[in-house]
Amino acid sequence: MAGKIKQMIEKIIEERSNGNEVLKSTTRTKLIIKGYNPDTWTSRSEDDPTKIAELKQIARDMGVNL
Amino acid sequence: MSVTVASTAASSIERAVDDIIKQCGGISPNTVLFFASSRYDPASISRAMHDAFSGAQVIGCSTAGEIVSGRVMKDSIVAMAFDDRTIESVACSVVTDVASPDSLADAVRDLEEKIGTPLRDLDFQKYVGIILIDGLSGSEERVMDRLGDLTDVTFIGGSAGDDLNFQSTYVYLDGAAYTNAAVLALLKPVGEFDIIKTQSFRTLDTVLVPTKVNEERREVLEFNNMPAALAYARAVGVSVKEAPKRFMHNPVGLVTGDDFFVRSPRQIEGDSIFFYCMVKEGMELALLESTDIIEDTHNAVEEKVRQLGRASALINFHCILRALELEEKGQSAEYGSLFADIPTIGFSTYGEEYIGHINQTSTMLIFK
Repeated sequence: MAGKIKQMIEKIIEERSNGNEVLKSTTRTKLIIKGYNPDTWTSRSEDDPTKIAELKQIARDMGVNL
Repeated sequence: MSVTVASTAASSIERAVDDIIKQCGGISPNTVLFFASSRYDPASISRAMHDAFSGAQVIGCSTAGEIVSGRVMKDSIVAMAFDDRTIESVACSVVTDVASPDSLADAVRDLEEKIGTPLRDLDFQKYVGIILIDGLSGSEERVMDRLGDLTDVTFIGGSAGDDLNFQSTYVYLDGAAYTNAAVLALLKPVGEFDIIKTQSFRTLDTVLVPTKVNEERREVLEFNNMPAALAYARAVGVSVKEAPKRFMHNPVGLVTGDDFFVRSPRQIEGDSIFFYCMVKEGMELALLESTDIIEDTHNAVEEKVRQLGRASALINFHCILRALELEEKGQSAEYGSLFADIPTIGFSTYGEEYIGHINQTSTMLIFK
């Protein structure tokens, strides 16, 4: 399976920014600093269970329901 | 005048605070921010500033050099007093142990109780946060990361210094001095405000990916699956022995679209490189090359003032490594003069905060 990580990252950005472009950019930066650069993950990226678990925790910490 | 700037180099705390009171005579402040050289006893200066401005929220920290409108200073105190024409409201709290997530949670809860609203619900266009944090704690990343999770409000600030003694740094709130701590101040400015983040580097094509790290120690053991020191030395084209001489001019940057966040190497130990901030495994870090601090800062400040139309106050969190480079080049006075026309205070930091923890950068809060 592939693409789940990209989907999760995009969902976190959408939920946290609520359509606001400034917040979209800030949330992207926050994720990059956490080690999840949205540009390095694609719909073909492998569904790594460890990364998925980490992202679920990041989403919880950021108050986002995935 | 709704913002007043003061500075003093008086050696006794009593005289220094008297100087500051006199310079702030025309204002009834609700917020006073001060940055004081570590030569002033932490507990005494915090108490004296609090007593001098008892009607205001007084926050500050120890420094490694100070900046005031038009001048770069040393062994001094600089202060900025705001009244309610610039800052509508302010709430402060202290993270008493920056290594403890519970302590940060307590400080956030304290802030939320004071303002009556969860931080998560605050409008980031109406509020801005200032963070002053122990510069020797090594905890800035975790605190900034968690704050960023909890709120969309921008927290900007600096890591306290101690005049390059590297013994202990302090933050000040309500007349007390804290170490291993952070002060959080949530401001609601009356008018517009904005952030300047400026660093004087350009990205080079070389990318270094940390493939083995110890995050807690801010240590990179391997870049690109090679011993970190060797990989960095090769990237800058020198021997491992010569590599530290390139650290200041060739740090690395975490690229975030059009911008980047500087991560500065501190020292080589064995095959490892220790940094002034944490890097994570797998992050792509671009090798950077230094550019002109004076020119870049001038352009960044001028552009922001142009966008805002005017600047009534500016707070500059200015990396000590930039201050040392300017000193080495004999450009400190020229740097200070960039802020001659704007009421400014700032200090030389052991790290800068904006979204995350950064090195070799100036983060500035500017008020219209």
